[in-house]
Amino acid sequence: MKLLPRPSGFSKESLMLPPRHTLLAWYNLVHERRRLITALAGVAFAVLLMFVFLGFKNALYDSQTQLLELLNGDVVIINRIKENMFVPEQFARRRLYQAQAFEGVEDGYSLYIATADWKNPETKLIRPLRVLAFNPEEPVLPLPGVLNYQDQLRMPWTALIDDRSRPEVGPMEVGIDTELMEQQIRIVGTFSLGTDFAAGNGNVVMSDQNFVRYFARLGPEEDSRTLNTVDIGLLTVAEGYDLDTLVQTLSDRLPKDVLVLTKDAFAQRERTYWEENTNIGFVFSLLTIMSFIVGIILVYQILYTDIADHWAEYATMKAMGYTNLNLFVIVIQEAVILAFLGFIPGLLTSLILYDLAMNATGLLMILTPGRALNIFVSTFVMCLVSGAIAVRKVQSTDPAEVFG
Amino acid sequence: MTHSVSSLSTKSAPQSTEGIAVQIRGLNYSFGQGNLRKQVLFDIDLTLPKGQIVIMTGPSGSGKTTLISLIGGLRSCFDGSLNVLGKELVGLNDKQLVNIRRNIGFIFQMHNLFESLTASQNVEMAVELTNDWGEKRARAVDILRQLGLGDRVDYKPNSLSGGQKQRVAIARALVNQPQLILADEPTAALDKKSGREVVTLMQKLAKEEGRTILMVTHDNRILDVADRIINLVDGRLESDENLEGFVKSHDPKSLDRRMFMM
Repeated sequence: MKLLPRPSGFSKESLMLPPRHTLLAWYNLVHERRRLITALAGVAFAVLLMFVFLGFKNALYDSQTQLLELLNGDVVIINRIKENMFVPEQFARRRLYQAQAFEGVEDGYSLYIATADWKNPETKLIRPLRVLAFNPEEPVLPLPGVLNYQDQLRMPWTALIDDRSRPEVGPMEVGIDTELMEQQIRIVGTFSLGTDFAAGNGNVVMSDQNFVRYFARLGPEEDSRTLNTVDIGLLTVAEGYDLDTLVQTLSDRLPKDVLVLTKDAFAQRERTYWEENTNIGFVFSLLTIMSFIVGIILVYQILYTDIADHWAEYATMKAMGYTNLNLFVIVIQEAVILAFLGFIPGLLTSLILYDLAMNATGLLMILTPGRALNIFVSTFVMCLVSGAIAVRKVQSTDPAEVFG
Repeated sequence: MTHSVSSLSTKSAPQSTEGIAVQIRGLNYSFGQGNLRKQVLFDIDLTLPKGQIVIMTGPSGSGKTTLISLIGGLRSCFDGSLNVLGKELVGLNDKQLVNIRRNIGFIFQMHNLFESLTASQNVEMAVELTNDWGEKRARAVDILRQLGLGDRVDYKPNSLSGGQKQRVAIARALVNQPQLILADEPTAALDKKSGREVVTLMQKLAKEEGRTILMVTHDNRILDVADRIINLVDGRLESDENLEGFVKSHDPKSLDRRMFMM
């Protein structure tokens, strides 16, 4: 067998190109542009569905704890029977003073929470808003808006409105005059928080003095509020003190009508409550799994069509001496390319949709890198599963059938 | 399975395969199982020496394609002896057959080229089986040039004519310099001129390298390239003669009629 003379002029090319496989998977995919675009749209759609469903699930959970995480404090004191943020139970303010006497506790703040009827200044319709009240001198809720309007908050009959409240609340601007609990109120500023289950429409922030103005003289059927009972007590801890030890000490020594938790444990407890007592997790997990399966079917269709269209070519490859494993790798490569290329438009569309959903609902839609990675891995697995199903078509291809 | 092989080897004593590309002894082959079992090849004895161009003719359904796919290791067979390039194929499983196939060049009626790959890339897919990475492009270009496609190396099949596509397919079959080439109606999809060109090229390359070609064809315009013509009828070898004998024994008129029947 004499060696074929090597033509000159190709040495340069072989130097430039490292030895590699002809990327048949890639060429087959990009050969038919229209089919590739349809395929990528399909994968992107499945990715989008997974992102949206997972996004809503996380948003519903994240929203429940976002207020808690924004509060300034390391340790939280609540009434023992306040199982979640919905339960309107307060504890005696003197417990907070007692706690402040312990070594290591730096400061203690009270947060008063109530639900108030807000009149939309334009439609005059009543909507319940959650009122968060505290001493404006204290850094209880250190949001940029709240800090900016600290001075204005001291004026009587004033409040700040959450500009991420639902649109039904009406215009959310400085200078609005309307009614809260059927009493006059003036909006002197705005801040950004968002809605959750306990504050379905939005939030209002006011000083503790104004809180008393609105809630101390309620009708006979309602529980009037004073500053003597606190909804959430916040403690800041001096540096050098172990949080868990301090929480343990406080729990042991304070009367048993209050519950002392670290802020993180409190947020986690709230999240766990919603996870265990609602169907959110089940519903959205089911929807996510269904999107995953829809994705598998879509990608399988794409790969199967490619294999069916190139049946004779794949059979010829087998006749030439390509093994089933070689062909398996090619189909899997196609699947992986689809996963990568389809994920990107899926992710970008999802980001836009997250933004839209966040504005429409006020829910906190966050896409953390970890969550994006999770979906990416799911997309990858989705395409691998499709590839593994589709590849059986290639493997069953009988090279003998190409003859005749 | 091993039992049948050993019993057969006593019947046809093992012969030296020196100078022989394909040696078939007592080969039987059936499709289907049980009541549906249908035997298509009966007791085939055939020896193809190296360097010979053999054309196989016969009416459709005579088992030509089955025989060629057995020789090519595309099907497993269990009865008789089938020695290809010094390896016994009877009783081999699919995985072992894949390795046999790498030493054989296949040319099909359809070119079966990937539309997404250029001529060169299609040929390179075959070179990659030999793990010759550095030289694959050079080898593909070289064989395409020998087939007169030097200026079409980077064209995709869509921009090639039927004859050019078939020549790329031939380049793909020949690039690894197989000692045995199996062709199934390689000119069926081509016009007279391209068909002629393709066959002449195959003949030239085979003669230069001493390769064996077994070609199934109904195309009597290309019979002249054959050293030998075998005729298969109803699963049995009916005649085996050289070109002159074939022409003599087949009156042109009857030959033509036979061709129509196929």
